[in-house]
Amino acid sequence: MSVVQSTGLSKHYPGVRALDDLTIEVQPGIVGLVGANGAGKSTLIKLLLGLIPPTAGEATVLGYDIATQGPLLRQHVGYMPEHDCLPLEMNATEFVAHMAQISGLPRTAARERAAETLRHAGLFEERYRSMAGYSTGMRQRAKLAQALVHDPELVFLDEPTNGLDPAGRDEMLDLVARTGRGLGISLIMATHLLGEIERVCDQLIVIDGGRLLHYGPLSEFTERTQTLDVEVTADAERLGERLRAHGLDVTVEGHHVLVSLDGAPPFDLIRDTVVELGLGLVRIQQRRRTLEDLFRLAPEAAIA
Amino acid sequence: MTMPSTPPAEASASNIYDLGYRRYEGERLGRRHAVLALYRESLRGAFGLGRSAASKVAPAILIAIALVPALVQLIIAAVIPIEAELIRAEDYYGLITLVLALFCGVVAPDIVGRDQRNRSLTLYFSRAISRTDYALGKLAAMTTAMLAITLAPQVLLFVGNALGTQDFGRFVADEWTQVFPIVFTAAIGSTLIASIGAVVAAQTPQRAFATVGIIVAFVLPLFIASILVQEIGTEVLRPAVFISPLDLLDGTTVWLFGGTLEESVAAEAGFHPAAYLAGCLVITAIAVGLLLRRYAKVQA
Repeated sequence: MSVVQSTGLSKHYPGVRALDDLTIEVQPGIVGLVGANGAGKSTLIKLLLGLIPPTAGEATVLGYDIATQGPLLRQHVGYMPEHDCLPLEMNATEFVAHMAQISGLPRTAARERAAETLRHAGLFEERYRSMAGYSTGMRQRAKLAQALVHDPELVFLDEPTNGLDPAGRDEMLDLVARTGRGLGISLIMATHLLGEIERVCDQLIVIDGGRLLHYGPLSEFTERTQTLDVEVTADAERLGERLRAHGLDVTVEGHHVLVSLDGAPPFDLIRDTVVELGLGLVRIQQRRRTLEDLFRLAPEAAIA
Repeated sequence: MTMPSTPPAEASASNIYDLGYRRYEGERLGRRHAVLALYRESLRGAFGLGRSAASKVAPAILIAIALVPALVQLIIAAVIPIEAELIRAEDYYGLITLVLALFCGVVAPDIVGRDQRNRSLTLYFSRAISRTDYALGKLAAMTTAMLAITLAPQVLLFVGNALGTQDFGRFVADEWTQVFPIVFTAAIGSTLIASIGAVVAAQTPQRAFATVGIIVAFVLPLFIASILVQEIGTEVLRPAVFISPLDLLDGTTVWLFGGTLEESVAAEAGFHPAAYLAGCLVITAIAVGLLLRRYAKVQA
């Protein structure tokens, strides 16, 4: 069953199309939601939580309609906002247990779950300390704990590594991966950092300017492309001309000669040509797409 | 924390990872429970319970001040062996008018403004409760907090007066009709003051602005009504009493306790006391409406 399904989902503000005609069916797993700042990531999350009404279109989350079943839906999802949202005068146990009760858990269960979730988030030792004394990393983990305490089936994380140093970032990403893979909770993680997506996610949604650029398994993005990358020490232009003469489709970028493939790679021909020209061959390899490529493609060409 | 699994022969192949986290299979109690939890936590916060010692000081001092007239009555009744009723119940709110406004100014920014200040409204609205549930939960907490300063002194005064008589049982038997106005005026007054305080505090996350705004919302109308009704006092200006919630509460209270209005703005305005009760209810309804509207729109 898909965790999110939307048809023509749109949110327009005066003068801005924050999200435009989004049709998508997201499968369970750790899903990266990537886009530049202002691409519409937070808007999409808020729409899917039923926090703001869509201008047009419809969507279901875990099978619940966002427009008509908001309260029911929100019992089963968690949300970690991007911005600061902690009542710093409280300690983490009280706060997380309170949030569990707001999600409908009975009082005793709420306290037990708060302790378990804080242990999972790595805050067990500090759980009775006032959150005012927490570091940024600890506050982010407390935010994640409140999003998990009611045992949601799906959690939305909005920029969970925001403001963290490299070590804190690593810890948070590990925690995200452990939550998704170890506990089997689906996560939709908004970020503008592609490296984070590559590290923890198994699926990817790319939005830009409020429009869907691509959705699919992460492996699709990084699969081999039909381009052979031949890197030489010098005279790439001459090598390119010679290969063109042999009927290959070639472009030259600096020291790289990019050969479009149409069948088996012509390794022997390339090797022999390089030797004939007396060039130094650094590497021959089939290119892999990087996530950055996505943003270089024209939107029309990239829509899956 | 990792623990090797048993039997040891399999230890190299598998480990049990104690993540301290299990799936929750228990019951989920839904919105009503959530609103009650919000109400309870807000009320605790208003009195600084579960918070630092500093946040307990202001509400405690104001409650103590509000109890002073009742305590004075209690002490006098104990010392002077005659039936002395120095302070009457219907005058009580008049004695502590400013304390009512101040107390509301202290607790409303805590109960209502705190989540906006911490930007934690998102966490509530992304859970099972609706925006209306949230607003009503906060209003209920505000109203209950106000009871500490309306109902508590009245009850203390009633007990004080009873103890001051020769025959406690006879006083209670004679004066039990006072119980209804004590409870009813406390409920009307608390809801009125709480709803105005809540709607003002909901407009700003800034505690200081909210406190000043609330005090102004109560005191400025008192001042204006006093000038228009008592100082100028022309027929046309008499309805000005209806802009002042605390004057309306005063008029309502005296009426419900069966007293006669004297030397107050409500008395000078000369309307039937039922009109003051209606005024209280209308202002409360408007404030609650504005509060719900504010929370329907406030950014989460």
